[in-house]
Amino acid sequence: MSQTITKRTDAPKPGVGPLHFANRLGSLKSLIPLLPFFAFIAYFLVFPLTFIFRDAFLSNDGKFTFENFAQCFQGVYGHSFYVSIRLSIISAAIGAVAGALIASAIVKTGTRSRRAVAATASVLANTGGVPLAFMFLAGFGTEGLVTKALKALGWNIYGGSFTLFSASGIILVYSFFQIPLMVLIYSPALENVKPEWREASDSLGGNRLTYFLRITVPLLFPAFLSTALLLFANSFSAYATARAMTSGTLPLMPLLIGNLVDGNVIANQEHLGHAMAVCMVGVSIIVMSIYLLVLKFSKVKR
Amino acid sequence: MKQKLNISNYIVLLAATAFFVFPLIAAFEFSLRSNQGKSHDWSNYQWILHEPGFRTNLGVSMRLALLTAVAVLVLMVPTIVYLHLGGARWKRLVEFVCLVPLVVPVISFALGVGTAFPTFLQSTVYELSFLYVIISLPYTYRALDVGLSSIPLLTLVEASRASGATMRQTLVFVVIPTIRSAVNGAVFLAVALSLGEFTLAVLLHWDTFPTWIANVSQGHILNAIALSVLSLVGAWVVVMIFALAPKSLRSSKSQEATS
Repeated sequence: MSQTITKRTDAPKPGVGPLHFANRLGSLKSLIPLLPFFAFIAYFLVFPLTFIFRDAFLSNDGKFTFENFAQCFQGVYGHSFYVSIRLSIISAAIGAVAGALIASAIVKTGTRSRRAVAATASVLANTGGVPLAFMFLAGFGTEGLVTKALKALGWNIYGGSFTLFSASGIILVYSFFQIPLMVLIYSPALENVKPEWREASDSLGGNRLTYFLRITVPLLFPAFLSTALLLFANSFSAYATARAMTSGTLPLMPLLIGNLVDGNVIANQEHLGHAMAVCMVGVSIIVMSIYLLVLKFSKVKR
Repeated sequence: MKQKLNISNYIVLLAATAFFVFPLIAAFEFSLRSNQGKSHDWSNYQWILHEPGFRTNLGVSMRLALLTAVAVLVLMVPTIVYLHLGGARWKRLVEFVCLVPLVVPVISFALGVGTAFPTFLQSTVYELSFLYVIISLPYTYRALDVGLSSIPLLTLVEASRASGATMRQTLVFVVIPTIRSAVNGAVFLAVALSLGEFTLAVLLHWDTFPTWIANVSQGHILNAIALSVLSLVGAWVVVMIFALAPKSLRSSKSQEATS
């Protein structure tokens, strides 16, 4: 669908679009109505971003240094890369698989229930944050109803090393917004799979397995992978839930940055925080570039 | 479109419902506890109503949401309309710029804002609104772009201009009513985002509704849980009313008839 949109709008419309022989000046003139937008972006987005990069290379007395980045990869800070990325991969994988299963069940139901599910998913995917953390503290805490019910069924979730404040606890809580996000973004792709193709595959002698392996998987894999990458970026940069739940004790990158900048743990480490922030942007850029590549590749294939 | 569900579909849906509903019920039960868990009553919810912080902080978040929604419309509607008319050659660039906030983790963004912005901007809580406009860009751009792609925009604008309307009148009285559902979607996204946003507010040291919930939890964990249940259920009810309302209320049909 997006393909047809870009095709139509890419071509300047006759009469209003810039004339095809428009010179450089003319093309700059066509930029004038966009100036408010670009001014807003420049001041509220680009300007703050340049300051993170600048401060990341400054020492406490204002001199240029690489020391902050060297510190980034040592000790607890270096470890936080591993913890954060590992947690995001697991969380994205769980969210993607569970969300895809739910989405494939929901596309088969009627319009009305689909709309209700989409609305619910959008609330859960967006309102995560602080309320989610306290909900889970209540339900899954040692005195919570879920814990007690599971115990009555013979499963003591606190029997092993599990606590809500560990990585596995955070992954459990994150699924509460990761799965709905997957359902929300992945469902439109599923709706493009026509039931006729199933009939075509059947009439050509394919069984369920061949249909799944040779039609569903090639067709939906790009959408699945790209959404999974979005989920990764989503849990990688999530801060509110983790902070409200663990009050900053788990070595996750956003939590460490928050501690460094608030200055109530160690003083004068703000520039290290900026360097960590730059590293987070770096990881994000890598993931999102793969995301864009997957999208591009899937468009070429179609 | 309705198809038959097989047994595994039912199992998946059942498990999903249990996974999402059960913690909510458990949290609700927990929020009703009083007397160290010996009895259940509404006292935690009554506390919220009598707490002055509830009204002030919710008020701050509501005003932020309103300002964000207005700013999104004022900034984005003319921009995207122009991209669909004369400025098509810049569409790729603007599209790309609108995706940048997805790449920048909010915590990094908050750090930059904290060091970059001058004090006159950082002295008012409404600076948050402008930042919320930025982080909602990927979603609001998409909503408005899809809405504008589905209408004969050029015809409408030409007809309106030929009848003597100015460009501003055309935007307010012709374009926005025609893409009402897309505008509603964009406004809804911006409002939801500003009501729930925590990271920017807490790192720039402002008190909004979500940071207030986090503060309440320090001393009154039961009240914080009650607040969480209340805000999640409240948001869900509002969205459900929007989503399941009869078609005549949701679409722009009624407006078309009157105008």
